Amino acid sequence: MKFTRTAKAASLLAVSALALSTAAGVATSAQAASGVKVYVIGGMPSDPFWSVVKRGAEAAGQAVSAAGGSVTWLGPQNYDNLGPDAGKLVDNAVSAGADAIVIADWVPAAEDPAIKRAIAAKIPVVIYNAGGVAEVKATKALTYIGSDEGVAGKAGGVYFATHGVKNVLCVNTGPGNANYEARCNGIIAGEKSKGGKGKQLPLPSSNFGNPTAVSNAVKAALTKDKTITGVITLGVQDADSSAAAITAAGLSGKVKLATFDMSTNTLTRIGAGSQLFAIDQQPWLQGYLATSVAWQYAQYGIKPATSPILTGPAIVDSSNVALVKTGVAGGVR
Amino acid sequence: MSQTSSKGLSVGNLVRRPEFGALIGALAVYIFFAVASGPDFIAIGGTASWLNVSAELGIIALPVSLVMIAGDLDLSVGSVLAGSSMTLAIVSGYYGLPTWVGIIAAIAFGLLVGLINGLVVTKTNLPSFVVTLATQFAISGITLGTTRLLTGSTSVAFQAQNPFQGLFGSMIFHDKFEVAVVWWIIMAIAVSLVLYKSIFGNWIYAIGGDVVSARATGIPVAKVRISLFVASGFGAALVAVIQTSLYNSAQVSNGQSFVFNSIIAVVVGGVLLTGGYGSTIGVILGTITFGVVNQGIYYTGWDADWAALILGILLLIAVLTNNTFRRLAISGGKKKEKK
Repeated sequence: MKFTRTAKAASLLAVSALALSTAAGVATSAQAASGVKVYVIGGMPSDPFWSVVKRGAEAAGQAVSAAGGSVTWLGPQNYDNLGPDAGKLVDNAVSAGADAIVIADWVPAAEDPAIKRAIAAKIPVVIYNAGGVAEVKATKALTYIGSDEGVAGKAGGVYFATHGVKNVLCVNTGPGNANYEARCNGIIAGEKSKGGKGKQLPLPSSNFGNPTAVSNAVKAALTKDKTITGVITLGVQDADSSAAAITAAGLSGKVKLATFDMSTNTLTRIGAGSQLFAIDQQPWLQGYLATSVAWQYAQYGIKPATSPILTGPAIVDSSNVALVKTGVAGGVR
Repeated sequence: MSQTSSKGLSVGNLVRRPEFGALIGALAVYIFFAVASGPDFIAIGGTASWLNVSAELGIIALPVSLVMIAGDLDLSVGSVLAGSSMTLAIVSGYYGLPTWVGIIAAIAFGLLVGLINGLVVTKTNLPSFVVTLATQFAISGITLGTTRLLTGSTSVAFQAQNPFQGLFGSMIFHDKFEVAVVWWIIMAIAVSLVLYKSIFGNWIYAIGGDVVSARATGIPVAKVRISLFVASGFGAALVAVIQTSLYNSAQVSNGQSFVFNSIIAVVVGGVLLTGGYGSTIGVILGTITFGVVNQGIYYTGWDADWAALILGILLLIAVLTNNTFRRLAISGGKKKEKK
């Protein structure tokens, strides 16, 4: 009796694990014996940003499939243990017989050993989205494709300062994540270069996925420090929450909102004038270029001469918002 | 078993009430932050901050507390929230059907997952911990897969039509309090009526106390447990409708923090993890404690890097206080029986 119960539990768990792996799993599974197998390691597939990156990788994957190869997308189930999890995914890709690997180097200390192991096994690795030139040098990876978070942040800080916002709050819903820290530090550096200032609002993971907790925390910070005139968020959902916070604090028009990345709501706000700007790193291009470069090198030895290849920052404000909207509707921007 | 049996208002009886520890905990954290933060926290804006967070958590935690009093756990509320809010955003946002259709679909989604949880738990006799953990994963997979298949994205915009925007996604009373606070009060009244004024309430305590004798006395154990899981799915779906209407969008990763936070609020509120013991007022106080700690830190002006540490310490203290008073309450009860 007890045994059958355990068996039932095991089969139930196996079924749910299977459902999960299909959901998280394979982008393009068409495989030919001679083709190049490219493994692309990115964020959670449920993350709106990574959803766009994945679409870029899938678009590149069509060319790979046409040449008889395959592109497989791997992503962690959550961000609780991002560095080690991503490192493990690299090892998984190696043991699955990858011919080329694309990886976001979020936590270099945790991921670099795995990347070096892959390169030692003669598998070309392209670092994209996070890590930058420094990690390309440290690991001897092929190249870096993505935006430079510091450069992007600085562009945002300068934009704020030249549009009359001299004290900005950077809402950080992933404190410790190298990408996020660089973005916030860039914003603050950009402000400082134009005589302004800024600080971080780090929010713990106990608020993850709860817009109300984020919104009210932002409202609290704005209530507490009335000299803040700008709020920038590191993701689009936090931008929705912060927009609500500015309204609830009664500071509409006084506190200007901006965000990294884009969504329909972000663009609607920019069009309506209730948001100043958005910083776009053009994630679709990251997925597309990184996958293409990895595949072309593994199959034909083709490699672009420029390194790094920067895909951003591009600033979206009221002057260019209409064109960008068409791209977002298609899930490409 | 009944929690409403205390007679008179003597100090001893008050201290022995199951929610007394939770009351002390809530008061302690409130006073702590009131002193540490100054006037902004006590002002209407500060009150709205923690009350808004408490209200949404409370709408989920109250039915979850019934599940836990009956001796089960529901770990699927996070995915139900994500799935229901996506259902609403896809039906009424992406496909542009009337808002009421989307809301009915979203609530139906929550009820359905609750029904599946309840049926699987009662038919297989597997621990609800495992079953609801499995549905938590499975539903998040279904939500992600379906959303990307239908919309090609993981974030869907949505704008509720009136009167639904007003009913679920508006700010009331100086434009600072979410309408969710009203839903929370309605939920608290409904749960109290069930727990204290209906035979169903006695059944819940009986099942949580000793499921074998509950069955032996003719209580329809399976039906009760299934309805509690359905209620829990309803709570999560209601918060999904509220958040989606309020923030005009749904994300597939929403709601995951509610799984642990609802259990924390319920346990801080004095409900035993093993079931059979707890009260509505205790759960409300536990939810308030969580909301105050969650938001209070941002009014102190302290470096928010330490927020999670302070949250952890205060919650531990709250549960310890609770435990002490619960021991007192239980021992008090036994003494009376001997008399």
